[in-house]
This record gives sequence, C-alpha cells and structure tokens, in this order.
Amino acid sequence: MRKLNFTLSSMAACLVAATVTLTSFQALSAGSHAGGHGGASAIGEPGDAAKVSRTVEIRMFDNYYEPENITVSKGETVRFKVINAGEFVHEFNIGTTLSHADHQKEMMMMMEHGVLEADKINRDKMKMDMGNGMTMDHSDPNSVLLEPGESAEIIWHFSGDKDLEFACNVPGHYDSGMMGDVRIN
Amino acid sequence: MNMFTLRAARRALAVAALLAVQPALSHAGTYTLTVDPVTIDTGDFKKTGIGYNGASPGPVLKFQEGEDVTINVTNNLKEETSIHWHGLILPFQMDGVPDISFPGIAPGETFTYRFPVVQSGTYWFHSHSGFQEPDGAYGAIVITPKKREPFKVDRDYVVQFTDKHPHSGARIMRNLKQAPDYYNREQQTVGDFFSDARKNGLSAALDDRMAWGSMRMMATDIEDVQGFTPLINGKGPDQNWTALFKPGERVRLRFINSSAMTYFDVRIPGLKMTVVAADGNLVQPVPVDEFRIGVAETYDVIVRPQEDKAYTLFAQSMGRTAFARGTLAPRPGMTAPVPDMGDSPLLTMADMGMDHGSMAGMDHSTMQKEDPAEMQGMNHGKTMNHGTMNHDDMKQGTMKQGGMDHSKMPSGGMNHGSMNHGDMKQDTLKQGGMDHGKMPSGGMNHGSMNHGSMQTQDPFYAAGSGLTPTPSEGQGKFLSYSDLKAQRPLYKDREATREIELRLTGNMERYIWSINGVKYEDADPIRLQYGERVRFKFVNETMMTHPMHLHGMWSILDVGAEKWDPVKHTISIAPGTTVYSETEVDATGQWAFHCHLSYHAAAGMFRKIIVEGGPDNTADITPLKGAIQ
Repeated sequence: MRKLNFTLSSMAACLVAATVTLTSFQALSAGSHAGGHGGASAIGEPGDAAKVSRTVEIRMFDNYYEPENITVSKGETVRFKVINAGEFVHEFNIGTTLSHADHQKEMMMMMEHGVLEADKINRDKMKMDMGNGMTMDHSDPNSVLLEPGESAEIIWHFSGDKDLEFACNVPGHYDSGMMGDVRIN
Repeated sequence: MNMFTLRAARRALAVAALLAVQPALSHAGTYTLTVDPVTIDTGDFKKTGIGYNGASPGPVLKFQEGEDVTINVTNNLKEETSIHWHGLILPFQMDGVPDISFPGIAPGETFTYRFPVVQSGTYWFHSHSGFQEPDGAYGAIVITPKKREPFKVDRDYVVQFTDKHPHSGARIMRNLKQAPDYYNREQQTVGDFFSDARKNGLSAALDDRMAWGSMRMMATDIEDVQGFTPLINGKGPDQNWTALFKPGERVRLRFINSSAMTYFDVRIPGLKMTVVAADGNLVQPVPVDEFRIGVAETYDVIVRPQEDKAYTLFAQSMGRTAFARGTLAPRPGMTAPVPDMGDSPLLTMADMGMDHGSMAGMDHSTMQKEDPAEMQGMNHGKTMNHGTMNHDDMKQGTMKQGGMDHSKMPSGGMNHGSMNHGDMKQDTLKQGGMDHGKMPSGGMNHGSMNHGSMQTQDPFYAAGSGLTPTPSEGQGKFLSYSDLKAQRPLYKDREATREIELRLTGNMERYIWSINGVKYEDADPIRLQYGERVRFKFVNETMMTHPMHLHGMWSILDVGAEKWDPVKHTISIAPGTTVYSETEVDATGQWAFHCHLSYHAAAGMFRKIIVEGGPDNTADITPLKGAIQ
C-alpha cells in the first residue's frame, strides 16, 4: 500500500480548509477511477518528504501553466507546490499522453454529472456511487484538482526513465494546450 | 539638398515628433485597401467579381488589440462601395453601412477609416453595398490580443468560407423576386408547401401530424439559393486549399463563414476539434467532432493531428447541396479521402412552428408505481424501480423532470439497471435541479444503463426539427449553442431593463423578408437608450434559419449559463424556435441590425437601431434616409 504524501499548503489552508476534506484525497485509489493510469512504475510514485531535492512551484492560469515544461533527473524526488491562480478549476496531473486521455473521459463524466463546474468542484458529489463500485472520487496521488485560489502539494518520485507529461484534464483544457513536458534526464 | 533627402529629413522629423507624442508601446498602423474588379476562379467556373487589393477574398488584415488603425479604402469600381468591419466595436461613423453610418464611398474616391482596436480575435470585413459581398468583396481580420490567450498553438490559419455562385448577386435577387423557387432544383416548391399547409396543416390532429411527418419536403427547401461552389479562402473543392502541420503540433483554425446564404456543417474526419472562440470572443474550450457555422459567424478551433498523414477538412452545406473541402497535411500535395455528403435533411412540421409536441408515442406502460403525468416534482420517497422502464418509442415528447428530489430515499437505493434509452431521439430530456446530494447510503446504480444512441435534443432547434444537427459519422459530439460559455465575460450579468420582441417573418411567395411583418423600408427605427440592457426575443416564424447580426454592440446569447452566457455578434435562430439575446447598450449612434443572409437583408429583414443619449451623443446622428443598399 502506497504512502500518500498529500497536504494542503499552509498559505492556502485558510481558504480551503472548510471545503476540502482531506479524506477525499487520502482515499486509496484502488477502487476509484485512479485505477492503473498507465502503470505507476512508468510515471513514478508518491515520494518521501525526507528525500525531496527541490521544490517546483507550478502556477495554474486560465488555461495554461507556468512553467510550461519541467526537467527532472531520474530518481529525483520533487515537491510540487501547485497554485490555482486562475478563475477556473484546474488540475495538475503527472502522467503520460495515454493516461491523460483516459482521465479526460473521466473528467468529462464528472462535468456531465455536475461534480465539476467551470469554477467549482462539488466534492460532496464525488462519492456518489456510479454503479459497479465506481465513484467520481478524484483521489489519484499523481494529481490535484483545485478550485480557483486553492493550492496543494505533491511529492513525487520520478523512478522511470521515460518522458512524461503534466496536464490539466478538465474537459477541453488539455486539447487547447494546458499541458507540459516532464523531461527526465 | 535634393528632393529625396529633403523628404527623408522631413519624414525623420515627423517620426521624431510622433515618437515624442505617442506612448512608447502604442501601435498606429496604416493599411491600404483598393476595391477592384477581379476574376474569381472556383475550379468549376470563372466569374467576374469584386475583390480587395486585386483578389477575392481580400487580404487578412492583422491588427493588434490597442492599436489605432487608419485604413485608406480606394474605390476602383464604377459604383459606390463601403466596408463594414464585421464584429468590431467602433464609433458608428466608421461602421461602414451606407445611409446609416456614412454616405458610402463614391467611385474613384478614397475614404479613410480611423478607429481604435478595442478587442481581439477572429473577425472579417465586407462590403455593405448592394450585392458586392456575394460578388466577392470580403476578407478576414485577425486581432492579436494584449493578454496571453488561454491556449497554446503552433500554427494559425484562417479558414474563410463563401458560397460562390455563377450568377451575380443582383441577378440572383431579381430571379428570387420573380420566382422564389428559381434556385430550388427540385420540383416541389416552398410555395407548394405553404399552400398545402394552409389547406391541411392547421387541423393539427395527430393523424394530420402523422401525415405531415411523412410528407417529403424537398431538401432544397432549406437553401434559397443553390447551384453555388463553396470556397475555402477562395479555393473550390478541387483546388483543395491546404494547411501544413508537423505531427503533434497544435493548429488553430479560424473559421469564418462569409457566405451570402449558406450554413456549413464542418468536420475533419479523424480529428477532434476544440472550440475556443465564437464570434471573436473566447469560450471555455469544448471538444467536438463537428460544428455548424451560421452565415457571418466565426469559430476558432484547435486541432492536434498526431499522425504523419493528410486529413480532409469537410464542410457540407446545411441543405447538403454542396461542400467545401480543404486538407490539413504534413506536406503539400497530400490528400485524404473526401467523405460523401450526408442525406439531405427533411424539414418537418416542427420547422414550421406547428409541432405542439404531445406526449403521444411515449410508452410508459410497463413503468411501475409512477404516473407519467406527475413526473414534474416527482418525489422518490420510496425505493424506485426503473427496471423495466421502456423509453424505446418516445419520440415527440418533452420529458421534464424538473425538481426531482431524491433526498428522502432512505436506503434501498435506486436501480436503473436495465433502463433502455435505446432509440430516444428528439426529446428534450431535462433533469433540472436533480439533487442527489442527500442520498444517504444506498447510492444510485447506473450500472448497466444503456444510453445507446441517445442524443440530447439541442434546445436551439425545434423538437422534431429536420435541421437538428447530428454527427455525420454517426457518433460523437456536435457543437450546440448550449455548449458555448464565455471564458472571460465582457459584462457583469444583470437583469435586462426591458424586452423587445422581434418576430422574424416572411412572405416566401413574394420573397419579402421582414421583422414583425414589416420590411425595412416601411419600418421605424428601433430606439434604444444608452445604458439600458435590452433583451431581444427572436421568434422565428419562418421555415428558414436566420443569422441576426447587430452592429456596434455585443449580443449576449442566452444559453442559460447566466454570467457565462457567450458574447456574440451574430445569433442564428432556427425555424420554429424562440431565442433570446441581451445587449448592453453602450455605443451611441445609429446602427444596422439585420439577417445576414444577403437576399433576406435586401428583401427587408433589416432594421435601423438608434441609440439615444450617452456620453458622445453630440447631435452627430444624421437622419440619413434611404434603404440599406
């Protein structure tokens, strides 16, 4: 069972503490749509805070990232401080083109079911049973989904050697360019 | 000092003076356009027409947001001309509509347009005189924004459509006036349909409606004028306009429909298109497989071809009588298969505004416990079994489940197990306010719910309309106006201060098109007060689709998204529908407001708008008389 290092950053905690329930992020992904996502080993895994070599700040605007590309070394553990500085909901998700494509379908479903609105996440609806034990819980350790003004951290260990993509899979965002490359040295 | 150096010295002085006055970063571009007789070669035929700077379409004008532009337009024709900057917000004297904004540009004359560019995005320009626009007098405008755009693209192309006809615009209008079915290539005419409707239609019993349903309207009744060759950037289907890309690049396509009369259904088989702007304004990105572009509208889409191969850009006319074709390719000369045009849509009673949408045919017979008549405000206090609910033959009903409250469902849960929505086609399935929030535990099981071929009814088409867009490839997403949400709303949302009803009316047999039954030359102007927010209620009482274009001020299309309602310059209203748009009246002066189908505008579906009051209203509004042309 993977250890998840997911905490709200202190600077934004006051903004979001009331609405974001930590449990929704701590939920283990086995049964949720987190599923395989292209295999954890290929994209890396949640990292150990003690091994963090540096912090990369990712600011999410409408609809793009700053910075737009990241370079890491193989085996490096990086703390990502992700800030939604836009007016819409955005995601920071570390994965591959394929895992993002799969996740976009899920996020489209979230939007169709009112879990996700352009500028709002209805976290209370995430637990709705969609049948077959599926929920729309957004709890993958490799991603954070943030409302405007929220921020969060991911500590990630890049154990693989294939280049990755970070992306926002809110419908339409990836397709219009809200994604960037993670180059592994 | 010879003349040359003297001139150079003067110019240097002038530049220095200009630099001293102007703030460092402002742009002030000067542009030159000549209005010229040209030859247009569609690949099917060659035709004398009108163009700009020697060609049709004219150049792509590239402006910067914040720039003060000066555009010198020289008329090399033997008749008056004008240029309207379609969608641009500017002083009304610069709007280019003869007899409303200015007197027009006489033969041999040069008129200088000067205005600040206060917006960004994809727009176009065209003559507003006579039928010069259908004769070729149009071009594109691309305005670079000050702020970074909410997307990332590697390439950027204008894709400008027109429906080039071998006849001149003036000749087409004469023919339509003499015989409205002149360009209908099928035997049954619109006139026949109207007289049949008078004879049989209004009895409106179900039997009659069934009979109407089986009436085979000719496809050609959808387009007044057929026999044209659709062009992309001036190139016919065989001339194959081509845009180059490298696999993996994001390509922005700026679609502009500069047709006189023709709507297009646009797709690129094999590519998803992400719509990012409509009528120049950013919208929240919508991935689609196909979209319909009304006359005078613009849509920006982003595509990302991944493979090293050609893709066909295919745009078939709404009446399926012709198609535009271009190619996206990694290298010049490559082509991809060109699809066949789909079947011609058939107009229905709904398109005549006569379908009263009874619930007939909706089979709830095997549904347990519930009374279909009481689905409104239905309370699901007890466990509900939808197991055998059969919606198979539901065709014309409007099923509303407004305010469905599941909160009191204690535990059993709701089983939608084998619910079959198989062939549900034309219904308006609204689940407004369906609240699952308080469902305590059981959860909702949608497990094997089959939504097979369910297509949500596009509320911008009459239920049962033959024109309702459906994806040509059989599946996928067709853009609806309902999908358009502003990315950056231009105005604060507020209640409209008043409503103005505009019934779109026509007398097909005499080819008169009108508003509230009155054609332009007989109508008083519509007077608006500066500072008010007017809600326009468009009621389309005709069987044609009308793209209504308000000059000088934005039209906020009511798609029910409130503050996110998209901001457009052209609002398309399908037959038998009522559509609302709101306008913040923030531009003083007098403006044109009309159907953008060239021959409808000329036939009278046109109004002058006068905005009274406002900061700049210095008695400059000349009561120019005369018609549009």
